[in-house]
This record gives sequence, C-alpha cells and structure tokens, in this order.
Amino acid sequence: MTRVTGKPLRLLLLGLVLVLVAAACGGDDDNGDEGGEELSGEILISGSSTVEPISSLNAEKFQSENSGVSISVDGPGSSDGFELFCNGETDISDASRPIAEEEVEICADNGIEFVELKVGIDGITVLTSPENGDVECLDFLDLYALLGPESEGFGNWSDANDLAGEMGAPNTPYPDVPLEVTAPGEESGTYDSFIEIVLEGLAEEREVPEDDIATRPDYTASANDNVIIEGISGSPSSLGWVGYAFFVNNSDVVKALQISNEAEGVDCTEANDETISSGEYPIARDLWIYIKEESFENKPEVEAFVDFYLGEEGFTSVNEVGYVDLAEEDKQITVDNWEAGELGPVISQE
Amino acid sequence: MATRAAELTTSEIVQRALRRKRIDLAGQIFQVLLLLALLISLLFLVVLLFDIVSKAIPTFQERGADVVTGTVSSLPERAGVSQGISGSLFLVAFVVVIAFPLGVGAAIYLEEYAADTRLNRFINTNVRNLAGVPSVVYGLLGLALFVKLFGSFTGGRSVMSAGITMAILVLPIVIITSAEALRAVPNSIREAGYGVGATKWEVIRSHVLPNAAPGILTGTVLSLSRAIGETAPLLMVGAVSGFFAVNAEGLIDRLQSQFTALPVLVYNWSRQPDPGFRQDLVPAAIVVLLVLTLSANAIAILLRNRYDRKW
Repeated sequence: MTRVTGKPLRLLLLGLVLVLVAAACGGDDDNGDEGGEELSGEILISGSSTVEPISSLNAEKFQSENSGVSISVDGPGSSDGFELFCNGETDISDASRPIAEEEVEICADNGIEFVELKVGIDGITVLTSPENGDVECLDFLDLYALLGPESEGFGNWSDANDLAGEMGAPNTPYPDVPLEVTAPGEESGTYDSFIEIVLEGLAEEREVPEDDIATRPDYTASANDNVIIEGISGSPSSLGWVGYAFFVNNSDVVKALQISNEAEGVDCTEANDETISSGEYPIARDLWIYIKEESFENKPEVEAFVDFYLGEEGFTSVNEVGYVDLAEEDKQITVDNWEAGELGPVISQE
Repeated sequence: MATRAAELTTSEIVQRALRRKRIDLAGQIFQVLLLLALLISLLFLVVLLFDIVSKAIPTFQERGADVVTGTVSSLPERAGVSQGISGSLFLVAFVVVIAFPLGVGAAIYLEEYAADTRLNRFINTNVRNLAGVPSVVYGLLGLALFVKLFGSFTGGRSVMSAGITMAILVLPIVIITSAEALRAVPNSIREAGYGVGATKWEVIRSHVLPNAAPGILTGTVLSLSRAIGETAPLLMVGAVSGFFAVNAEGLIDRLQSQFTALPVLVYNWSRQPDPGFRQDLVPAAIVVLLVLTLSANAIAILLRNRYDRKW
C-alpha cells in the first residue's frame, strides 16, 4: 500500500505542469510578429455594443499593420462605456447616442477632455412577419398607439383602434388579429433609442407622467436581437423592432414596415442604405466615438488608430459590419473636427 | 368452524401463489418506466450532440484548422477560437493552482482534524451552501474584489482576476467532493495505521490520501469542467467581447491583460447580426468547448480507474 503513496500526487503535479505549459503556449498565439514596427503601447476601447463591431474590425485591420500595439475593444453599453471613459480608464469610448450633459460634467470633473466624432448611422427597423399582408406602413402615431405606454394590455391590433383614432393615426383601422410584440429589453440601446425617437415626444404631448414614458411593459423582451428576429418571424401578426443590421441579415424571414411621421412631413419611407444615410428614414441614430485628449496627445498609437478609423478603409468597416455610411459631407465634418482637435461635444450640439 | 375455514383459506392462498404462473406485472412496468427515463435523457443528449456536430462539420471542412487558430474578428470568415482556448486554459491553470490545494487541504482538515463542534458544523453547512450560490454572484464578488480593490495587482479586468474568481467559484465543490472521498475511506484503515504506531500525519499521508485519491481526483476534475463551462462570472469580471490583441512581455504581463474564454465567445457570437457567426462559428466553438470538457472528464475517469480500489 505504501508503494502507491505519492503517485497520485506526482500525477496531479504532472497534469498541473502540462496545463500551465499548454496555457502559456496558447497565450503565445496572441502575440503578433515582432516585425520591428514603430508603434507600440496599448489602446483601450469600450462602450456601445452597437458600435463595437465597427471598432473591432478597425482594431483588427489596424493591428494587422501595427502588430506592436495591444488593442482591446469591449461593448458593455454606451452608458457603461462613458462611466469608464470619464473615469479615465479607456482611451476611446464608443456610443450609440451623443454624450449626455451630466456625463460631460463628470468627465470635466475628472479632468477628461475629449474630441467627439460621428462615424456611422444605424437605422431602427420596425418588423412584422412576411405573412402579415394587412400592414405595410406605420406612422409614429400608429407606433405610439400599438407600442407606447398607453397600449398596455392590447392583445389584438384592433384593440388600439380607439386610441389611434383619438390621436388621428393615419393607418386605422388595424386588423383584428393577435398583436404579438417581441422587442429589445430595457438594457438595450435600441430600446432607449426607440423611445427617444418615436415615443417620447408623443408621450409628452399627451401628458404622460415622465416616469411612465417607456414602451408598454407587456411584451416579450430579449437582449439577443437574433431571438427577437425569431420571435417576430414565428407569429403571422407579430410586431417588433431591431437594429437595421439585424434586419438586413434576416430579410428573408421578417418584413420591415415603412415608417412615416406625418406630423413632421415624413411620408412612408422604406429603410435602406440611401434613406437612412440621407436622414429621410425617420428612425435612425448616429454612431459616435469619443477620444480622450490626453491619449491622442501623448500616445501616438491612439492618434494613428483614429487616423486609420477616419481613413477610407476605416469608414468602409461601417458598411462591412452592416451599418450605414455617413453622407460624404458628414464624413468631412468628422474628419475636419478630428484634424482641428476641437474639444467637447461640438458635433452633437450643433 | 371459523378458524378452520380461515386456516384452509390461508393454506389455499399460499398454495395457489406458489403454483400459479408468476407474472410480476407491476415490477415489469416499473422496469420499463426506468428504462424510458434513461432513454429520454439519452435522447436529448444525442439530439443535442447531433444537432451541434452536424452544423459544425461544414465549418471545419470549409475552414479547416483555421477555426481553431484564428483570433476574434468582426468578420465571421476570419474569426477563430484560439484566444478563447488560451483564455480557458489559463482559467483551468488558476483553478488547478489555487482551488485544488486549498480545497483538498480544507477537506482534510474538516474530515480528519476538526472536532465535531458547533462552529465546525456551521462551517460545513456553509461550504455546502456556497456550492449552491449562483455563479453570477461569484462574478460580482470578483468584480468588487479582484477587478476593483486589488486592481493594481491583478491588472483590473484581466485573466488573473477571472482565474482567481473561477478558483473561488469551484472551491466549495472541491471541498465537498474531497470530503466525501475522505469519509469513504473505512475507519479500519486508519486504525490499522495507528495500530502499528503511525502518527496522525503518517496515517493520513500513507493510508487515507492514497485511498481517497480516486474520489478526490474525480471531484476536482469535474469541478474543472464546471470552470471551463461558466460564462456569467466571466462577463462580470470583464471578458472582452470585441477584438483584442495582446503584446505581453512575460507571463505576469500576460496574466494582467485582457482575455476571453470559449463560452464567452459562444455567447458573443450568438448575438451578432451576421448569420455567419451564429450558424457556422457558434457550433464550431461549442464543439471545441465540448472536446475540452470531455477530455477533462476522460482524464478524470482514467485517473479514477487507475487508483480505484475495492474493499
């Protein structure tokens, strides 16, 4: 019996060493070639999960040419990103909305100055099932009647007829079919943008208390947009909204509704690259990056990365990952702002 | 009269019971039900495996080893799981280095040394409760403790913070399984040791531990599989969701830098708009994760069989 003693221990130790060696070897894979590149150092990017794919792709392209630079791109959300950014923890903050005034103040309190750059546009598409032939176009008023804070409990499209009629929505009466809503949950920037662009103004007009300005709470919410697509395609009379990129990749299983905002003089508009880029399509939001002044002044790798981001190849990434390019004049505004190095939220507050 | 009739009836019943053709209907139904229970659980497993593997095979055929050696990318045709594999292996290394010695040590103390006091019983119960705490709670602990408080040492949102968090997550499981294994060693073995004049340390080292080794090994390696498969705590302590490239100088620097892990890749890729991620890469990443987990389990079974002992 005593002869066996120690063997299990030795074996465990052997296993431990093997695992460590394997891990260390695996770790080596991350190292780029030591090609004698000039740039080195580290770029930390965090913020919106919507913008993350653009920054990721640009980081990838940039890194393949500058293998000495360590880059990481994270996407916890615009608000979380600004928190890290204003805390001085990141060099660049991605955002699917402009920086808020309070956030500018927090940044200023911590001595963080930044340059604001607009890099792309993301449309929000309102979707239904391709089998739903009764509805082709919805107005902001229709969306408010079907999805807004006062629509709680509407189980059928036609339940919204009274409310829509009272508001003067143009597409009534709605069909008498079940209204099955699948859409992003509260944690999502797409949820915030939908409320901000479509519902907020109307809710204020109708004097809904500020705390209640939201979507109806009784729908199937998911943080995973692919689950939302599945929910919408799974019911013939469904309704929901997702980012434009998710619609483009799934246009065979869901149908995008045209959107109008007659109060602002916007007729029924289909969501496509041109209408979103030109601003014709009414539910679109700009995508931003914020660069810390201290970083681009002192870290040449950050400056070089932003130069790359705003170059031809950098702007191509926006389209490659499914978002919509800025119009040429908007691109120029961004490039000019970067070259001038003007601090503060100058583009969004114009 | 009455008693005689009853006697007759009883003997008749016994005789009939002995002579009749014996069909144990209830027993057979029970057996079929048990078999069904087994088959249904197996069926789910087979369907799941078949589904994943059949979707992953085209990806591997098309991309070859590229899927395994590639790094994270925004373009599905370029993305691969190498950083996930190395991240997961780092986590495994932390669990092996931190959780195993601590857990086995704690188990030996609780089983062999600790007196049966109220305090020790309280500790024992608490270890069991800790094993049932949802993993995301450990993620919050890791975020507060290792990412924030000891950030200067761990490098903040780094593979080190994640590794230590994972080690703490599986620690209660290691303690419980090791303690069970120690308890299963018959007392006569210990008494035989004391009988020939061995000290407590000698008895534990040369008698108890070797005999408990198979059980301890099984438990620890199963806890490894758990660590490999966890996602939620890693998201809390900051596994990178986008692209990252690390130029680390030396091991310490590497440990203090960003990371991702296989289950995190699966989670992130399933959320991407491009169907290339969720239809091609997710199954491939799951297969790699399965291979990693199954090899850990296979090692456990091999080790257990090697040291298994019958009493």
